[in-house]
Amino acid sequence: MSKALTVTRRGFLMATGSTFAVLGSRSARAQQPRVRIDPTEFRPISIAIPNFVGGSPADGQVGADVAGVITNNLRRSGRYAPIDPAAFIERITNIDVPPQFQNWKSINADVLVTGRMTRQGDGQLKAEFRLWEVVSGRQIAGQQYVTAPEYWRRIAHIISDQIYKNGTGEGGYFDSRVVFIDESGPAERRVKRLAIMDQDGANVHYLTKGADLVITPRFSPSTQEITYMEFGQGDPRVYLYNIETGQREIVGNFPGMSFSPRFSPDGQRIIMSLQQGGNSNLFVMDLRSKSTTRLTDTPAIDTSPSYSPDGSQICFESDRGGKPQIYVMPAAGGAAQRISFSKDDQNASYSTPVWSPRGDYIAFTRQGGGQFAIGLIKPDGSGERLLTSGFHNEGPTFAPNGSYLMFFRDPGGASGPSLFTIDISGRTELKVPTPGFASDPAWSPLLS
Amino acid sequence: MKVDKTLVASVALHVLVLGWAMISFSARSYEAPPESLAVDVISADQLAKITAGIKNGEKDKPKPLVEKVADARPVDEAVGKITEKKEIITSSAPQPPPKPVEKPVEKKPDPPKPVAENKPKDEPKPIEKQPDPPKVDPIAEALKSEESKKPKPKQEAKAAPPQPPKPKQERVFDQSRIAALLDKRDPTRQSITGATLNASAALGTHTGNADAIVATWKGAFVAAVRRCFSFPYNGQDSDQFEVDMDIQLRRDGSVASEPVVVAVRGPSRTVAEAMAASAKRAVEQCQAYAFLPKEQYDTWKYIPMTFGLKDML
Repeated sequence: MSKALTVTRRGFLMATGSTFAVLGSRSARAQQPRVRIDPTEFRPISIAIPNFVGGSPADGQVGADVAGVITNNLRRSGRYAPIDPAAFIERITNIDVPPQFQNWKSINADVLVTGRMTRQGDGQLKAEFRLWEVVSGRQIAGQQYVTAPEYWRRIAHIISDQIYKNGTGEGGYFDSRVVFIDESGPAERRVKRLAIMDQDGANVHYLTKGADLVITPRFSPSTQEITYMEFGQGDPRVYLYNIETGQREIVGNFPGMSFSPRFSPDGQRIIMSLQQGGNSNLFVMDLRSKSTTRLTDTPAIDTSPSYSPDGSQICFESDRGGKPQIYVMPAAGGAAQRISFSKDDQNASYSTPVWSPRGDYIAFTRQGGGQFAIGLIKPDGSGERLLTSGFHNEGPTFAPNGSYLMFFRDPGGASGPSLFTIDISGRTELKVPTPGFASDPAWSPLLS
Repeated sequence: MKVDKTLVASVALHVLVLGWAMISFSARSYEAPPESLAVDVISADQLAKITAGIKNGEKDKPKPLVEKVADARPVDEAVGKITEKKEIITSSAPQPPPKPVEKPVEKKPDPPKPVAENKPKDEPKPIEKQPDPPKVDPIAEALKSEESKKPKPKQEAKAAPPQPPKPKQERVFDQSRIAALLDKRDPTRQSITGATLNASAALGTHTGNADAIVATWKGAFVAAVRRCFSFPYNGQDSDQFEVDMDIQLRRDGSVASEPVVVAVRGPSRTVAEAMAASAKRAVEQCQAYAFLPKEQYDTWKYIPMTFGLKDML
């Protein structure tokens, strides 16, 4: 009996002792200072994107094409570094079995994408993909989509967005389109057509024939409509154009010129400039009631208005202080506050402000010292910085996630303008391939 | 022939037992566990970063350590002090031979000038040495008294060469005179003198951070994880993003369990979470941290970490 008791007591002591030991180690942990790790450099995520497997031998080509579009998208983002397929050791033939991860570890891949494209009996195209973390062998994401075969590019963009979101924590932007002005012909008789394409420069379609001059196209939040200014017969006017139906209409019926239109974030209103004598002021028009409200009344040129993403404020360009500068005011009108003050060049002027869909920055074109620069400034006027500068850079437009800008650059001389993308750190600048010269880009919101 | 089975069995058993004992009891060589030290190859840039000054470092102590204000001592003009060497005249022996013997003795005891000045006078009559009372050197005295006796035997040596062994007898150890043998000179440690007092010694310059270079396991660990950690964030408020993560390691330096993300901070939660995934991946990619000292396992079996994005842009 006593023996049993002893054992029990010992057990009890051991139990309590270990409890205290655990508590002790807990408190020791709490006191231990954290080891701080900061990266030494910006390094893109290393990714392996082998060709998607074809569900049938006929689907091999589309599998390779999808992998190619994803590779191009992620490389252009600057945040991913796709590995050259020539370095691959393992050939993916079946995405239902886990890959041999040591084969991908040895080529220093952080993540691996495998996928399969299958043409189904009903003629639809099925896409499946899996995203793997190489070091742990974990599947991070897996999705499948079914669509008409001609939309295989959109599937590639959607998969790219999935991968991008996963690695960066930001929203995607690949599944989006860009409207721009396609320019062709000699400099003195330039034909300018309204065109639309995928954000990577593929799938170009022309929306107008080029009989009338078109500028400043802007997407509606629904991505189905575009508003722009067209020089037709008489005064230039703001038009609304439906991409699906090809229908177009004049916005409002104003006595003078109307220009630089832009949609409100809810898509219900269009804000624009109306000419009144030598001046121009900002007006907003409700698309359903067609009622117009004046927002500014100054003996100056107020133009290029752009809403904040929450619709509560407007940034615009005004020369009320002498030179064109950027101002911010409440969306319903009121006192405007100047936010652009160039520190290094007193004579610099600012134009084409556009509010980021993320709300954190306003992008602008700055002219000064014989150079045109594209830059960013916070809505309170702080943190101004220039991303690129040169002979002529103009017209920034934000990608749907607010992390990239597209603008056009004209090198001058006999050549013409081209489109470029740059990320908001200024690190990655790339030319966007277009069939001819291109200007005035406007990035759509995400399509899905 | 009849073989005694028990004998055979006994021999066989003995052989077996002895053989087993030889193999199993043989001393095994003691192998010291190899002590590993992580060596990192770093670029010149990184070195410059490591050795750069730290803002909150202690200020330089430009003043040298001074314990005693120095006396305003006139600089001795060595040139002016050279005196003409007088002819050495000794009553007993006019020969020069004794000179080389006496000279070193005279010079050694008292480097200060007074002795040097007296030197020529002293030489003929060593007893007169007493005139410089401030620094009586017993050893020198003792030696001198010996030396003063020496010349005599030498002079006699010419007449009677077989006598040289005699001086040995003079080295009699007199217990009652031990005190006289003690070195009564002042300690040679000199105070550090200068124009102004400055009691505190400098601890180093504030422009260095040598402690960061010290090869502690932490430094090596940070360098190892850093090599694998990167997060491609391109926004401006990168310094506001932080991920707290706890990791547990095995004795061999490998990660024992999935790292635990304790907290994420930053303007965007989704970005901070993606960063946490990156940090986790970095810790797993860079294992095993075999360089961590085994004997200090208790200090690194659990490591709380914070990942940030400072200085990336």
